[in-house]
Amino acid sequence: MSQSATLQRVQAVDFYGRLEEEVRGHRNGTALLFLYCAGDPSGTDAELTEVQSFVDQLSGVNSEVLRDVSTGVLALTLPGYTLDAAHYQALLLKQHLQGRLEQSDPRITLAALTETPSTQTMKQMAEAARLSTSSDIHIFTQEEADRDQSRILIVDQDATVREFLQIRLAMQGYETLEAVDGLEALDLIPKWEPDLVLTELNLHGIDGLPFIHHIQQLKVKEPPKIVVLTEKRVEQTISQCFQNGVDDYVTKPFSPVELDARIRRCLH
Amino acid sequence: MVAIYYVMAVSALYFVILLFSFRNIRDIFRRANYSKYNTLSGSELVPSVSLLVPAYNEELTIAENVRCLMTLNYPTYEVIVINDGSSDDTLQVLIEEYGLTLLPNPELRGNIHTHKMRGIYYNPQYPQLYVIDKENGGKADSLNAGINLSRYPLISSIDADSLLEKDALIRMARMYMENPEETVAIGGDVRIANGCVIENGEVKDVSLPRRMWPMFQSIEYLKAFLGGRIGWSHLNGLIIVSGAFGMFRKDYVIAVGGYRGGYPGEDMNIIIKLHRYMLENKIKYRVSFCPEAVCWTQAPDSYNILSNQRKRWGRGNLKNMIENRNMLFNPKYKVMGLLTMPYNVIFEALNPYFRITGLLALLGYVMLDMTNWQVLVVFGLVNFLSGYLLSVGALILEEMAFRRYTKLSDLVKMLLFSALKFVGYHQLGVLWRVQGHIQYMQNNNSWGTMTRQSWKDKNEAA
Repeated sequence: MSQSATLQRVQAVDFYGRLEEEVRGHRNGTALLFLYCAGDPSGTDAELTEVQSFVDQLSGVNSEVLRDVSTGVLALTLPGYTLDAAHYQALLLKQHLQGRLEQSDPRITLAALTETPSTQTMKQMAEAARLSTSSDIHIFTQEEADRDQSRILIVDQDATVREFLQIRLAMQGYETLEAVDGLEALDLIPKWEPDLVLTELNLHGIDGLPFIHHIQQLKVKEPPKIVVLTEKRVEQTISQCFQNGVDDYVTKPFSPVELDARIRRCLH
Repeated sequence: MVAIYYVMAVSALYFVILLFSFRNIRDIFRRANYSKYNTLSGSELVPSVSLLVPAYNEELTIAENVRCLMTLNYPTYEVIVINDGSSDDTLQVLIEEYGLTLLPNPELRGNIHTHKMRGIYYNPQYPQLYVIDKENGGKADSLNAGINLSRYPLISSIDADSLLEKDALIRMARMYMENPEETVAIGGDVRIANGCVIENGEVKDVSLPRRMWPMFQSIEYLKAFLGGRIGWSHLNGLIIVSGAFGMFRKDYVIAVGGYRGGYPGEDMNIIIKLHRYMLENKIKYRVSFCPEAVCWTQAPDSYNILSNQRKRWGRGNLKNMIENRNMLFNPKYKVMGLLTMPYNVIFEALNPYFRITGLLALLGYVMLDMTNWQVLVVFGLVNFLSGYLLSVGALILEEMAFRRYTKLSDLVKMLLFSALKFVGYHQLGVLWRVQGHIQYMQNNNSWGTMTRQSWKDKNEAA
């Protein structure tokens, strides 16, 4: 028992590292499948054993089902399978799970690989499985992997502004999240690791400049870019913001087209 | 009989003032709701303001208050906290919270005389915050020290136990910008924060105080500010801008010599001095009241502290009246000399004596059987009803324009306490004022203590 516990911890540490290794091991292509069971109160242990038992009965497959402990996403490789064969197996797996575990509602993302994908792509696949709203098997394509999935955190106390920005940026293909004030944003940034923070300076709880300073002090791998979108048009404030390392400064009322262009320039 | 006439005169005057308040409330409501404060709060054209925050032994609340003041919606302003030789850790709390360091050679612009300044603390990361450390010299002295350091043309005095709403300052500035030539001072609306939920230096959930003393004061403040000051400002006869939150033209404050130290009531004193200066120099001016700029303050919640505060007010009021007695009934001072000052002397300062003599006379009449009890009852009822009507009037104003208290139960509670106020609380008010006057005669000049509660403890207690 203690052994398997250690094993799991190691797995958790580098879930993606091991997955990458496994994919790399299969020279002639493999199918990669991510599975996430929504609404299963019995926990993921039962799922793990069920999925493993399903994999074990497949001929020619002796891979191990991996689990990301932090999110509960399961991953398995099906070496040598083409996309349609893997899709068929995924359907069987779904049926198997639904038969065995009554309340499980599996969400599956599937891709056939010819080369080793980047960690980023695998993360995207895992996320897609986790956040999927339909029980259909999601086939993850190259296009999807290439799509600009920059994350933008919108910080503004005005709900109308947040909604407008959220809709507009989502239409541009960005992933967005909203925060009402600076403290909430400071809480979200390390968890969600956005690529860009779009913020107002008039915030509750913490003022704009100290807020920006705090973002830069946060221990994240890549500090997010900061674009200020604010009512404040005082020159002194603008220059102070740039001195503090803000990437761009847009004043309200703003032109949405201009804002798009500035955000795009900051991200690329 | 004098007493009856007196009561009638007071009531009549109050009603006239209340009527003026009602006349103005529609404008106030509309400008509070349709002005674009958001846009204004980013404009370069809004005059910059120095906020002066005198702090004496405020270690419990100061951090929260400064945090609140640092996040106001306002284009350019600075916050100057003046530590008035506190004996507790007020200064240390601020230094730690904001990582302040001593400025090597600070530049002082003003030269009003104050007690010795020990140093000025600053952190370039928070460019709008300055903390002055000085030797103890009282509230007025602290404000003067703040004026000496301030860079901007407007100053605003804020008590360290008060929290401003985010828009409060910009609302005031808007009023100032309507008439920047003539406006010399603007007062804000002070409300009682006891009972409200406070989070991150911000009033989150408004409700009435749970305890009795703050509850009475809530009603009293509502009546004084909405029922009284809106009307007085219409006549340009405001005699006081609350020390808790007011905005002033710095040049005129310096012209009248800054705040007067050594005696309570410095907030009333500065306004009287401004009136006097402007009238004597025949400059057109206005002292305004801005009811939509709201400041939440901690009210004393025990008998002792409250009575001390009221005695101090009584003392300060009397001192101001005696000092400025030459303005009384002097046509040179217009509304101020002919209406406001007489009103304050007769109906505020001397109020207790009229009441007491009136009561004694009534008792005497009854004893001597010169009158019958029906008259007494009628008199009492009229007195009560007129007073109650005034409170209800203020409540109606509140409901018409502001609606800060949203719960129905709060409204019922306010109506109930407006009535209860006449049994006991009013009489105590009279007593405290007399005691204040006695203190004045005895030359007892202490400020009295005000113990603070941390805003956080308050949340838990409430």
